[in-house]
Amino acid sequence: MLDMATKVDPMTDSRTPKMAAKDVNVFYGDNHAVKGISLDLYRDEVTSLIGPSGCGKSTFLRCLNRMNDTVATCRVEGNITLDGDDIYDPKIDVVQLRARVGMVFQKPNPFPKSIYDNIAYGPRIHGLARERTDLDEIVAVSLEKAGLWNEVKDRLDSPGTALSGGQQQRLCIARAIAVNPEVILMDEPCSALDPIATAKVEALIDELKGRYAIIIVTHSMQQAARISQKTAFFHMGDLVEHGDTTQIFTSPKQERTRDYITGRFG
Amino acid sequence: MSNTKEFKPTDWGSPEMQARTRRRYRRDRNFKAMGVSAVLLAALFLFLLIGKIARDGAMGFLQTSIDIDVTFSEEILGDPRAMSAEAFEDHVRQANMIRLLDEALTTEFPEVTSRRDRRSLIRMISGGAREQLRTMVLETPAIVGSTRTVRLLAADDIDQLRKGKIDAAEEEANRKVKDKELAWYRKLDEEGRVSLNFHTRFFTSGDSRDPELAGIWGATMGSALTLVVTLFIAFPVGVLTAIYLEEFAPQNRLTDIIEININNLAAVPSIVFGLLGLAVFLGVMHLPRSAPVVGGLTLALMTLPTIIISARASIKAVPPSIRDAARGLGASPMQVVFHHVVPLAMPGILTGTIIGMAQALGETAPLLMIGMVAFIVDIPGGFTDAATALPVQIFLWADSPERAFVEKTSAAILVLLTFLIAMNGLAIWLRQKFERQW
Repeated sequence: MLDMATKVDPMTDSRTPKMAAKDVNVFYGDNHAVKGISLDLYRDEVTSLIGPSGCGKSTFLRCLNRMNDTVATCRVEGNITLDGDDIYDPKIDVVQLRARVGMVFQKPNPFPKSIYDNIAYGPRIHGLARERTDLDEIVAVSLEKAGLWNEVKDRLDSPGTALSGGQQQRLCIARAIAVNPEVILMDEPCSALDPIATAKVEALIDELKGRYAIIIVTHSMQQAARISQKTAFFHMGDLVEHGDTTQIFTSPKQERTRDYITGRFG
Repeated sequence: MSNTKEFKPTDWGSPEMQARTRRRYRRDRNFKAMGVSAVLLAALFLFLLIGKIARDGAMGFLQTSIDIDVTFSEEILGDPRAMSAEAFEDHVRQANMIRLLDEALTTEFPEVTSRRDRRSLIRMISGGAREQLRTMVLETPAIVGSTRTVRLLAADDIDQLRKGKIDAAEEEANRKVKDKELAWYRKLDEEGRVSLNFHTRFFTSGDSRDPELAGIWGATMGSALTLVVTLFIAFPVGVLTAIYLEEFAPQNRLTDIIEININNLAAVPSIVFGLLGLAVFLGVMHLPRSAPVVGGLTLALMTLPTIIISARASIKAVPPSIRDAARGLGASPMQVVFHHVVPLAMPGILTGTIIGMAQALGETAPLLMIGMVAFIVDIPGGFTDAATALPVQIFLWADSPERAFVEKTSAAILVLLTFLIAMNGLAIWLRQKFERQW
């Protein structure tokens, strides 16, 4: 049957990075948005990307599943690997890459379809379910993992857009989970949510940790401190500092990091 | 505390302030009044237009008939019992129906004897009466030998007289219906033989030189066939163009040029498309003249920009977050477009298409250029038959000298307007049915 847990693979044990960026530069036309960033991302861990607006953290995040491909002026240099394979290799199928590296966006963006169809869409296009019962199970398991099952199990046919903002965001997380990704990218997933919905999403991220490598962009330093094990601080396209979250927040090595986390700028 | 200069406290109750407030309210009121009067003026013009057409057109749906006792004499028609069915049919087809009518009218008006007067008398009945009588005999041969009261269409002048469009008080020389005819008409009317009925023939027959025989079915069929061609060309081509330009085309100078030209095409006078159709479809491709297929192709060219522009606008209106969501799940560009963008843009695309179709339905000028302006009596049965279209029919009738065509013209306009309103209603309904929230 369908086992949603990540496969055990020597390549993905916690000591080898799940994804690794080496000397990544991103340009939008002449604008050098991300400057020579190298960062290892491990499974079993939540990595927070923090920094002031326009510092390149979202741009960097979007390189990890090649969402920047659709921006005509965007040029990515350097090397990003997933399990050791270069994801910008022309031989890599971007469709498969995005199934393996899922994404949750800033604004909840459920499809204007039923809750069921929202979840089932990914598995359908990737042919993950052979029969209707398989699909039913994927939907149920995904919603359960996203902590939404009990709230929506009686109205799977009602539109996803009719849910509250927090529920919509968890629906989007469930939708990402449904294609069984290995990495989940989250681009400020709580910035459009109220504190209660934020708490639920944070609890969910905490629960998902360990099964997926999670990379989250956030503007809330409290959030980064609460949910992540690793933190990377971006400033003006540079990766100023990265390391264990506790270390970054208690004894930052760089002055810019210290200024930022104490609220002196940004 | 800063050491900059402090503002003076504002006195909101001062007379100046109050005057300012009053002035602001007055401007608001004036602007609203101007808006309301603009709306009222527009509504008034629309009301006048529709009112005038409806008043004229209503009569176009009615037609005067005269009940005449016709004796279906064996002498003229032949005896169906004495000959074979085919021979009888041949005989009837060659029989002089005017004589039949003449005899019937002579019975009615025995006092009219001169050849000339009898001719005038016959002319009070529509020329279509011959065909009507012949059909009756062919359908029921047993009718031969008997006398029946037959409701025959009146000629257009008598029809106009009945409808009060010809003034009996006018001097005879200036009147289409002469004094003698007026007397005959009055006699028939007193006997209760003249009646005004709903004119079904108007909806079932093709064009004719006689107003009482002319109908819009031929033009309606022509329009329908033309629009089918237009829809089948313009919709797929337009929508696919819009999708490609919006979702796949690289942003470069060529795309910009294409975009500008599409927008320009939307503003090109329709007669230019007619000239293009004439040159390309008739001149180069040698397609049949006056045919719906050519009309449809020409109108498709004209409708394309409308469809492309509205389809692009509705594709653009689909929130980018939906595309991101699908792409983030690993949907291919094709899947993003056809699973998410197009379904969400569909209401807008359909609305634009229907409005483009409505435009095409009302278009006259390009059809004139490709010869769909001919006088065509037969109902077109296919895409290559000679045909005309509703607006062209209106144009033709408006140009006809017979007075009775005035009301036919208005009636045809009413029919065309009905179609247009129905199409726009459909567009609104589709939009509301498929409208989705996100």
